[in-house]
Amino acid sequence: MMNKLKLMSGNEALAESAIRAGCRFFFGYPITPQGELLEYMARRLPEVGGTFLQSESEIAAINMVFGAASAGMRVITASSSTGISLMQEGLSFLATAELPCLVVNIMRAGPGLGRVKPSQGDYLQATKGGGHGDYHTIVLAPATAQEMADLAFEGFSIADKYRNPVMILSDGMLGQMMEPVILPDSVSVDQLPQKSWAVTGSRDRGRNLVLAAPYTDDELIELNAELDRKYASVRVQEQRWEGKFLDDARLVVVAFGSSARISEDAVVMARERGLKVGLVRPITLWPFPEKAFETLRSTVDAYLTVEMNSGQMVEDVRLAAGVDKPVYHFGHGGGWIPSAQAVYDEVVRLHDGSIAR
Amino acid sequence: MDQVSVSIDVMRCKACSYCVDVCPKKIIELSSQTNSKGYHYASVGAAENCTGCRFCAIVCPELAIQLSIVKQVMPAKSVR
Repeated sequence: MMNKLKLMSGNEALAESAIRAGCRFFFGYPITPQGELLEYMARRLPEVGGTFLQSESEIAAINMVFGAASAGMRVITASSSTGISLMQEGLSFLATAELPCLVVNIMRAGPGLGRVKPSQGDYLQATKGGGHGDYHTIVLAPATAQEMADLAFEGFSIADKYRNPVMILSDGMLGQMMEPVILPDSVSVDQLPQKSWAVTGSRDRGRNLVLAAPYTDDELIELNAELDRKYASVRVQEQRWEGKFLDDARLVVVAFGSSARISEDAVVMARERGLKVGLVRPITLWPFPEKAFETLRSTVDAYLTVEMNSGQMVEDVRLAAGVDKPVYHFGHGGGWIPSAQAVYDEVVRLHDGSIAR
Repeated sequence: MDQVSVSIDVMRCKACSYCVDVCPKKIIELSSQTNSKGYHYASVGAAENCTGCRFCAIVCPELAIQLSIVKQVMPAKSVR
């Protein structure tokens, strides 16, 4: 099959890519700026024999995801910030039952009900748990419509591999913006690897159980230990990032998603002026790409995080960079989007202030 | 010029202002009036400057904006 360049919004690209990854179930409730994703699924899923269901709430949606994932199906839900907050209990249950699924957060401005402009205000919620108990979701942060498609496609494989929920942490800008996209080839649902643990009827085998909680105290302690081992292996194997202009960089901008693509323009502007500035763009937010910072310790003087929030990633950068390196923050939430010029001005200000001379 | 008219279903508007952002001619603004839900709904100012690009209608999450475009038939130019 020829893969043609298509002009699509990030939301549509992600939805189509999920279907091509063999996802046949969408449960969700409408919310801006996630709307096009749900609308696309409503139209497309019936065409491929899938199930689209508009639930009565986000809480219902995430529990329907639990059901479909228990049966071993590839399943997705999507919402925006406030709706994702409602799903947190269900996410904790999914992680406990080790059920693979894709949860998409097209972040909008908060806190509270907020408004529908883009934001990155859910970084801490996504990476530090969100729901109760010791669990993690694997968090992927696309920066283009193409990556919305690619990471959704791959997200299902990662979810299946670790039997763990994967969250795509995107925002209203990436979701709404239209860009050329090359979609992945379709996977046939029949060709997907069988899930030996799935609840599919036990006529010819012993029965499988998917439990939201073990029956005994000891079992729960053992489950927690098992989850810890799994998360440790995810930390080792799945850290992803993109680095640019890092070889001689003294000041490194750290940004993900929308703010990363804007920051990249600013870094290019700074390079044109001869400033030794680089960029680290985390693609996995959990696990945070600490490895990206290991080689920078001897050469970099300072870091600048650029985020459409009040500095939620700063502490992760600080931990990865080492305590002796200053980590500055530029940005705030509420729907504010930085211009490349504003980021450039901040880079120059820090640079001229002898921080990265 | 084609005859373009933009109609906004005021009751559906939730004042997200996406249309205000995307309008290349900057002729849409949020009204000082509110609809019955309390939102300062979108309204079109200098409608004669509308190019009929439909960006506002495409981006509106509530499908509250419709454009009607009447094509003006230009008199055929003489071809030498």
